[in-house]
Amino acid sequence: MSTTTRHREGQKHTAKQAAPGAAPAQSGWHSQRLLAWIFLAPTILGMGLFTLVPIVASVVLAFFRWDIISAPSFVGFDNFATVVQDPTVRVSFLNTIVFVLVAVSLQLGLALALAIMVQEKLPSWLRTFFRSAFFFPLILSAASVSIFMRYLFNEQFGVVNWFLSLAGIPAVPWLTTPGGSAAVVIMVYVWQNFGFSFLLFIGGLASIPTETYEAASLDGATGWRKHVYVTLPLLSPTTLLASVMAIISALQVFDQPYVLTRGGPGDSTRTAVMVIFESAFQRLEFGQASAIGVLLMLIIMAITAAQFRLSKRFVFYQ
Amino acid sequence: MTGATNGRLREFSRRTAFGALGAGIVGATVASWPRLSGTDIPGRGDNSLSIAIMGTAADAAARQRAIDAFTRLHPDIRVKVQAIQAVDWKDFFTKILTMVAAGTPPDVVYVATEGAQLFADKLAHPLDEYLRRDAADMAEFFADVHPSLVEAFMYKGSLFQLPMDWNAANMYYNTTAFRQAGLDRPADDWTHVDFRSNLAAMKKARPQDFTPYYWTNRLFGGVVPWLYANDTSFLKETKSTGGDWLWDSFYANDPSRSLRSGGYQWLEPNADDPRVFESFDYLRGLVKDGLGVRPEEGGGSSLVGLFASNRIGTTPAGGYWVQGLHEAGMKENDFDVAFFPKRRTQRHQFGTAGYAIMKTAKDKDAAWEWIKFSSSREAMELIFPNPGTTPARRSMVNEALYKGKGPAHWKVFYDTLDKYPTTGPIPAPPQQAAVETALMKNVSLAVSGDERQLKQALDSMQRDLEIALRRQS
Repeated sequence: MSTTTRHREGQKHTAKQAAPGAAPAQSGWHSQRLLAWIFLAPTILGMGLFTLVPIVASVVLAFFRWDIISAPSFVGFDNFATVVQDPTVRVSFLNTIVFVLVAVSLQLGLALALAIMVQEKLPSWLRTFFRSAFFFPLILSAASVSIFMRYLFNEQFGVVNWFLSLAGIPAVPWLTTPGGSAAVVIMVYVWQNFGFSFLLFIGGLASIPTETYEAASLDGATGWRKHVYVTLPLLSPTTLLASVMAIISALQVFDQPYVLTRGGPGDSTRTAVMVIFESAFQRLEFGQASAIGVLLMLIIMAITAAQFRLSKRFVFYQ
Repeated sequence: MTGATNGRLREFSRRTAFGALGAGIVGATVASWPRLSGTDIPGRGDNSLSIAIMGTAADAAARQRAIDAFTRLHPDIRVKVQAIQAVDWKDFFTKILTMVAAGTPPDVVYVATEGAQLFADKLAHPLDEYLRRDAADMAEFFADVHPSLVEAFMYKGSLFQLPMDWNAANMYYNTTAFRQAGLDRPADDWTHVDFRSNLAAMKKARPQDFTPYYWTNRLFGGVVPWLYANDTSFLKETKSTGGDWLWDSFYANDPSRSLRSGGYQWLEPNADDPRVFESFDYLRGLVKDGLGVRPEEGGGSSLVGLFASNRIGTTPAGGYWVQGLHEAGMKENDFDVAFFPKRRTQRHQFGTAGYAIMKTAKDKDAAWEWIKFSSSREAMELIFPNPGTTPARRSMVNEALYKGKGPAHWKVFYDTLDKYPTTGPIPAPPQQAAVETALMKNVSLAVSGDERQLKQALDSMQRDLEIALRRQS
């Protein structure tokens, strides 16, 4: 039964219930609506107070110069002009985009591969174990994990280089060279976040009917062809959801690069959100920080809109 | 029918009574449970003098003996100390500024050199009028405190803080590593060339799992002492006029009186100075030859453990390290401290800290009384009972403080000021946070590649510093 059919039947059912008496039905509809608003009110209030108001405030603040201490002064588009010309801001945005491309690809690829493996090859008790194990890093504090990783990847005394030395590999300057630090930040981020995409894929895989695979087998599809022609197309709504969430999250990366490398060496691991933090809370340029925030928000909105638009071409609903 | 109704009523009443009893128990438990509320925030809901320090609740508790002593002297002034946990001073100032923005600023803040000019420029109230008024009481304090520390808190001719504790970047060395390499204690006037040859000897003696020189990439103890020793800095250092009222009152007979000013100024970048290149190139050489590590970003929290486990030969640090090394298991003869190696000069760098009265303080007179009391020998002995820092009072840096903990040459700590009176504070203009970011982000690149990369990194630092100093100026 398709989703559309179910939806229509639901409508019919409601209509049948409403038919016997117009006035009571109207009253019931009103009370249901009231109940819905009552239940939604805390969420709407919370969203309004802690999401909408800060967004609006941030957009307004982007047009002011404000250092917390003195009164804000209106500067028009000056903050935008300043941040666009700032080489550090430009590099941080570029870093963020490269980070998103690499980290999200790795995150989704790893999550999908492991989800297929766990779902297909493992007995149910091991499946449960791996679901928890892969999700576990996500519930840890990113800052704590990053502090721990700093020790692990220390060039002189870190465990990672110690293991490499056992294989005769010389010490790698993980956190003190641009390439090494970028690699560690991506590795730590992917390790900590792929569990969420993994769970989404597990759910998506579980919803693919076994009959489809049986039909594909009868048509001669086995092994990887089964996944290319059945799993991936039918998983495309899940992939869309996972990629949208992964990209939005990766565009806002902060904790890992801040704790692991403080954005360095140079600007090699400085991200857009780090620059917002530094502008606002270290340099007290709240207007410029808001301007960078607005630019990042516009980029996130544009990417997400593009994803949904492009999704019409590759997302298949059953 | 009636009976049935009565029965239901009775049943209902019993259920209601049990429910009410249960709710009462839960309510009473919740009400009596100890919990935080808005009135627990120091200074809120009463007229207490709220004092913010960087540290933990334990640090605040450690101040309690000083508060008790103060309350005995001033029973009319209630004091509350609020410890604010932070990664470093920059993080601490951020939190204070957030409190300012929230409309709940503390009355008094413990501020280090890193934030001294930021506070003096925007947030703090000068102490001049109080010092003039209580000059007779304060003479004993200034006689016991080196003028370099006081000058670090002068800003445009006014004094904003009294130094309570301080630390210079001296050179700690592992005595076991020195002994194994056949090295003697460095001479007081050892040079950067001697230092390098000592590192080479240590590396030869212990090629595995050992780093002769470990340093961190930050403002204090990073590249700055090497720049100072080469008679330069990454910012041009000048001094403002004024402040004679203080020097003439308290340091008229000090041999370094002529050096004193109305405070330091760092108005222009200086990363393109050939001496800056020279200093960086020296450090680049240490890294290239495996004598020193590429500097790690951020604080050196892991350093105490590494040093205490004999895996580090030398590192720059202040007197604050002694207690940490002692707690990490080092005996008093396992480590020692020397002056920083000389190059063109042997000028050292230091950082100091003290209380600043906020412009918004409810009762500035009460705040001054707290600062005055805290600068007394009695209070400082209560606040600094162990060598977790170097007290600003010369008389307190004594044998008793270091007994059983070391190092053998603890006199180096205060002698750094007495023997090298030009020793100066770390460069920290009001835009310190932006300046520090500009410095740190280019240091690693500068010392990790070839000469061309070093030149590029210093060009980038010069440009970043120009932007940083322009901001908020």
